[in-house]
Amino acid sequence: MAAPAGPRPGWSRKAQYSLFFGLVAAIAGLIVGLIMLVLSLVAPSAYAGVRGAALDITAPITGALSEVATTVTGVVGGAGDYWNAAEQNAGLKRERLELRRQIIRSKAVLQENGQLKAALGLRERNESAIAAGRIVGSSFESTRRFAILSVGRSDGVEVGMPVRTADGLVGRVIDAGSSASRVLLISDRSNIVPARTLRGGIPVLSTGRGDGTVDIRPLEVGRNPFKRGDIIVSSGTGGLYPPLVPIARVIRLDDDGALGVPLADPSKASFAIVERVFEPAAIAAAIAPPPGER
Amino acid sequence: MVRAALSNKSGALNAGPVAGASVIPVATVFAGSALAALPIVSSSGWWPNAGFLMLIAWRLLRTDPWPIWWAAPMGFANDLLTGAPIGLSVAWWTAVMLAMELVDRRSQWRDYWVEWAIATVLIAADRWADWQVAGLAGAPVAFVHIVPAIAFGVLAFPLAAMIVSRADRWRSGR
Repeated sequence: MAAPAGPRPGWSRKAQYSLFFGLVAAIAGLIVGLIMLVLSLVAPSAYAGVRGAALDITAPITGALSEVATTVTGVVGGAGDYWNAAEQNAGLKRERLELRRQIIRSKAVLQENGQLKAALGLRERNESAIAAGRIVGSSFESTRRFAILSVGRSDGVEVGMPVRTADGLVGRVIDAGSSASRVLLISDRSNIVPARTLRGGIPVLSTGRGDGTVDIRPLEVGRNPFKRGDIIVSSGTGGLYPPLVPIARVIRLDDDGALGVPLADPSKASFAIVERVFEPAAIAAAIAPPPGER
Repeated sequence: MVRAALSNKSGALNAGPVAGASVIPVATVFAGSALAALPIVSSSGWWPNAGFLMLIAWRLLRTDPWPIWWAAPMGFANDLLTGAPIGLSVAWWTAVMLAMELVDRRSQWRDYWVEWAIATVLIAADRWADWQVAGLAGAPVAFVHIVPAIAFGVLAFPLAAMIVSRADRWRSGR
């Protein structure tokens, strides 16, 4: 006997119709989903409201859970610190002496710098922080690198603002809810930061690799200018990120560039600071990158 | 005896579906999506997509966990909770439901290993779709970066299947 043309839920007309309409609705859902996907790729700002609202709903849960996790890991880590306290103590003392010498040197440089700037009549830009929040979550299920920050529009955060910790640059805000925001980390593939090396000031570009590291390429083709351990700082070009924020440390060289590890580790940083956009004219370009940009 | 059987509500004879049995599958998928709210700050993004695992685990266990078109709103909730581009899970989850209809019609028999093989294909396709869309959105990472994610998803599927089969037995009162 030939198999029936489709799954028939018995002789009930009602059941047959509901199955058929379910199928039609599913195909409609597929088409609607594709249209929504195209819209979210072409015009990401179209969903700013609904994405912000979803962030506001989930971020408090994430924040509360992260308090618990921090306490637990703190207790475990604290116990571990007692394990070889004597050796750690000796190491820290050595490090402190070295750091004290460095501080004295840099204080002298700072003083000289202040005198030179005063002589030139330069005025320091006021880089006040907008808000400070905790990094409470991340996109651990996707190749994109996002983090959830516990401050939002009610704290003055807006889309496009740079986020940093005391150690270095974290990324920039791409979705802002009223009490939470989503940050595009510098390790995301689409985040390109104009930068320069601290040693030599060679202009470079830092691009995320999607796995927690960044790719660093010099703007000028030629000899590979990097050395292991080089510190990369932002250059302020483009106006999105403030200059002289540490970005990454070079860990490996490849044929025409280098691989770096971000200095600000979002999983370890307790606080992240949202800053004003360095050059406000750049924010329009940051919110709406041209479609098809790779 | 008859009277006693009627008065005793806890006997096996009176066991039936628990209250709200029809929404339990959807609730578990939503809970899987909501795992994205866990405070895990990862630098690699290799964790399995729990909402999708629950979805395919339910669909592989039964043909009727929900009306087929419910995949679209469930996918929308997943997009909002995980921060994926809105529309990706709406379209992809519905496509998975339609594909499973075809698989059901074409396959003659099914056992544990066949189910795991189907799940492997679907999980790999899920990460591939996520990867493609990330590329279109301006973040084209190398394909090798998603291979561990696929492996972790495939290894996590039996856990999702176990949770789902327990939940199904509980909700149908068996």
